[in-house]
Amino acid sequence: MKIYGLELIRGLGITFGHFVTSYTAGFRRAIQQGRNRGQVRQQPGEKGIFTVQYPEERLKVPERFRVLPVLIYDGKDGDKRTQQTERCTACGICAKVCPPQCIWIVQEKDPTGKPMAKASEFFIDVDVCMNCGLCAEFCPFDAIKMDQNFELGGGERQASHIFDINKLHVSTEYYARTHPKAWAEEEARRKAEAEKKAAAAAAKSTA
Amino acid sequence: MAESNVHLNRTEDQILEQEVRRHVLITPWGKLLEMVTPIYNWGRRSSIWPLQFGLACCAIEMICTAASRFDIARFGAELFRASPRQADLMIVSGTVTKKMVPMIVRLYNQMPEPKYLISMGACASAGGPFKEGYNVVSGIDKFLPVDVYIPGCPPTPQALLHALITLQEKIDKQSIQTVRWYNKEAGAEIPVPELGPDLLDLRRAEEIKGMCASPKKPAAPPILPPMIPAPKLIAAETQGAYPKAIELANRLNQAVAGQAVSVAGGTLVVEPQAIQKVGQYLKLQPDLDFKYLSNLTCTDYQDCYEVVYNLYSITKPGPSVTLKVRAQKGNPVVPSVTKIWPGADLQEREVWDLYGVRFDGHPNLKRILMWEGFDGHPMRKDYLEAYYEAPGKIFPSRWKEGHHKRAEEWVPFSDNVKYPAGFDPTQFVPAREHTAPVTSTSVESLKTDTLVVNLGPQHPSTHGVFRMKVVVDGEKILALEPVMGYMHRNHEKIGERNTYLMNFPYTDRLDYICSMANNLGYAVAVEKMLGVKPPERAEYIRVIMAELTRVVNHFWAIGFLLNDLGAFFTPALYAIEERELILDLFEMASGSRMMCNYMRFGGVTNDLPEEFLPMAAALVNGRLPKAIEQVDRYLTHNEILLSRCRGVGVLPRDAAIAFSAAGPVLRASGVPYDVRRAEPYSIYDRFNFNIPTRSEGDVYARYQVRIAEMWESHKILKQALKEIPGGEIQAGKKLWNIRVPAGETYGRVENPKGELGFYIVSDGTDHPYRYHIRAPSFINLTALELMCKGHLVADVVAILGSIDIVLGETDR
Repeated sequence: MKIYGLELIRGLGITFGHFVTSYTAGFRRAIQQGRNRGQVRQQPGEKGIFTVQYPEERLKVPERFRVLPVLIYDGKDGDKRTQQTERCTACGICAKVCPPQCIWIVQEKDPTGKPMAKASEFFIDVDVCMNCGLCAEFCPFDAIKMDQNFELGGGERQASHIFDINKLHVSTEYYARTHPKAWAEEEARRKAEAEKKAAAAAAKSTA
Repeated sequence: MAESNVHLNRTEDQILEQEVRRHVLITPWGKLLEMVTPIYNWGRRSSIWPLQFGLACCAIEMICTAASRFDIARFGAELFRASPRQADLMIVSGTVTKKMVPMIVRLYNQMPEPKYLISMGACASAGGPFKEGYNVVSGIDKFLPVDVYIPGCPPTPQALLHALITLQEKIDKQSIQTVRWYNKEAGAEIPVPELGPDLLDLRRAEEIKGMCASPKKPAAPPILPPMIPAPKLIAAETQGAYPKAIELANRLNQAVAGQAVSVAGGTLVVEPQAIQKVGQYLKLQPDLDFKYLSNLTCTDYQDCYEVVYNLYSITKPGPSVTLKVRAQKGNPVVPSVTKIWPGADLQEREVWDLYGVRFDGHPNLKRILMWEGFDGHPMRKDYLEAYYEAPGKIFPSRWKEGHHKRAEEWVPFSDNVKYPAGFDPTQFVPAREHTAPVTSTSVESLKTDTLVVNLGPQHPSTHGVFRMKVVVDGEKILALEPVMGYMHRNHEKIGERNTYLMNFPYTDRLDYICSMANNLGYAVAVEKMLGVKPPERAEYIRVIMAELTRVVNHFWAIGFLLNDLGAFFTPALYAIEERELILDLFEMASGSRMMCNYMRFGGVTNDLPEEFLPMAAALVNGRLPKAIEQVDRYLTHNEILLSRCRGVGVLPRDAAIAFSAAGPVLRASGVPYDVRRAEPYSIYDRFNFNIPTRSEGDVYARYQVRIAEMWESHKILKQALKEIPGGEIQAGKKLWNIRVPAGETYGRVENPKGELGFYIVSDGTDHPYRYHIRAPSFINLTALELMCKGHLVADVVAILGSIDIVLGETDR
């Protein structure tokens, strides 16, 4: 004789089990962290159900996490940008590689009308950008990078979703903070290149 | 006495007044409302029930927001209502297409006030990366009022929660006196747009009429995309570089075709009148056995339309035969091959829709991705979209003098629409297609008591914006017609303007559950043309990513199959717990949870970060097998699952092959066919794994195949993680403007949903001349009617769930 409904009870048992572990895992984490809430990450070994208590705490995003592009200038947060500190040379690779063509660049011209290696205007249409990161991947000057800020919701788009050159620029200090590993690698590479250049110049002058 | 009485009365009055003042609040009406407002707002902000409504990729992130990791219930917004009449919030999650927008507006009209709208992601806000497409609306705010916009593609679940909090803050600031819904003048319904020659906003009818009566000449005529002639024919008798093709052509000519078959670049070009005979011969000759029509598409050449058929043999793994039929430019007609390969049905309709090639003898030749009445065949090279700028990217307006201008600002109708000259919207009579009877090959006679039911495109169980037009007799299905195109985002048209590299992030958005696997498919196809081989480490990384994707997809498919069976969301939420951990791995390696854009021609973008392999090993050796085992143990012998799935939706073996079914659907019908074994790509030939099959061909068999495939993927993952070598991750230099040698290819991989193919024609430049995607979700639907006939309406949902479609790929 087959007894019907046993599977139903078993299913309810599974749900109950999940219900209980959702509390145990949460309490365990609460005890471990105490009031010190901030950035959290789920580990594969962790038992039970993991819920991030956004906005009190946030998922720690990995370094490569990408949302929208930013432009980089050398210096600290809040420093005034100058032509020397801005890294972008308006070479246009990012605009050429951008799949939905959301990057718009105006090249600066000197008083005689000769184009300069600088962007006078730089726009990113946030409502077209697909966050793919190709611009940052192919920029030869490490001038455009992917930002990690995702809390961008707002009530308006016509004016605020066209990011201009002022809104796009962040300092290297900011970038080093969000991308410590990539920053260290890039610095090491730049240093090595500079040393190589210096050595070559020294060799040339002695010869 | 009287006097004292008066005195007493007066004091009583005073006392009464004092009492009243103490216990009763006397205040002007407006002030009272201001006092009630915080309670009113608190009530609204704490119970925002969203509509269970998803459009595209963003909807997947929306579902994740409702799952345990992010848990939207903490904000009182977990009750996703399937009916607009019970919902407060519409989250427009994904690309709004022209074909879908009338339904969205109708749903919004049906929601009672107070209602809110979140525009999630770049597509919903303004068209996003698909903005230039011919079937894409440039933002939902062209029709509906939006409360919160979220940038991002796709916004992460946390970004959606942030938007919800932003909406709550907005509600907090509102006053009961000024809110829209108590205002007597407001509250009018938004007119539902119509589908005419293009999307028609009825509010602008008069304006459009005027513009069509006297069309403005553009300042400069647009530069048309350049066209190349079709590949040259080689006379069949001459011995050339393609001995096999020539041998087969000679054999066909002798056997059936007279002189109708010739050879061009390794493919067979068949005269239109001979295609059916040639097809029959190729299919029925036992030593040829080309029973499986993998792909059917078309290319627009300078001198002809070329219809392409990629044929494979199921029993004899090996190279394909590519047939081509050339149709004249003026009135292109090709005989239909649906009688030989029924799997050609939807594909021929797609070619008719997009290229205007008529298939003689097709039982139901109507548009499939666009709507009946749409003006033009959009994949033709001379069809220019409203936002057309240049034949290829980069657009010259972007660099050096790139003063930003929205596309709306320079096109004639200030929107992504175009109408024929003289079009009069006020006289326009829309086709009410959804009430028309189903045209089906298989209904012998329609009785008078049958009923046409439209399931979808907004339906909780259609896995996206998919529609089924069902003819029922009581509860029994007599006929069924899949209706799609509600998410047609013009991947192929945009893909032909993109450079080869630019198409990578677009492939992410095809089957957005499996973006890594799509990346691999595209990379494999183009690498075939380039002749590049990625280094060992990159190959291993690719395999690890593709197999993790398969596990993710099958968890998702099984969870939502249970959802379709009526186990409302609980199993689905449990099944996607492990998915989050795998997405963490993807995010760690590529930077995005869903839109990975991780692979490149000849390698991968970045090497794996240090913590990837330990975490992947911990997952694969610990949690993942436990989770698969849990699903297997709880569900495989569950009596409800068994009684709902066994014997339902049977697809017999021969029909599965004939209908070009692929992936788990094909293997559940007893065909051990897997591209990873039949035509090994990447390094799959060195792993030890089986191809699970079942012979029953029903919903349960498809479920079992998926479970078994997860175990096989687990096996591959264990081997790959153990053996992965160090070293380079990129062959040669990574180029952004790579040029591909002229020629054509059909590259295919075994995606979790079935065979994903890319048919690419290169003219030697940096963007493809033809870029076609053979989407398994799309072609698997060809057999849907056969599976559903005779079953009940409730079973249709389960059968659809067992096919496992994703609309991003179905409609492309």
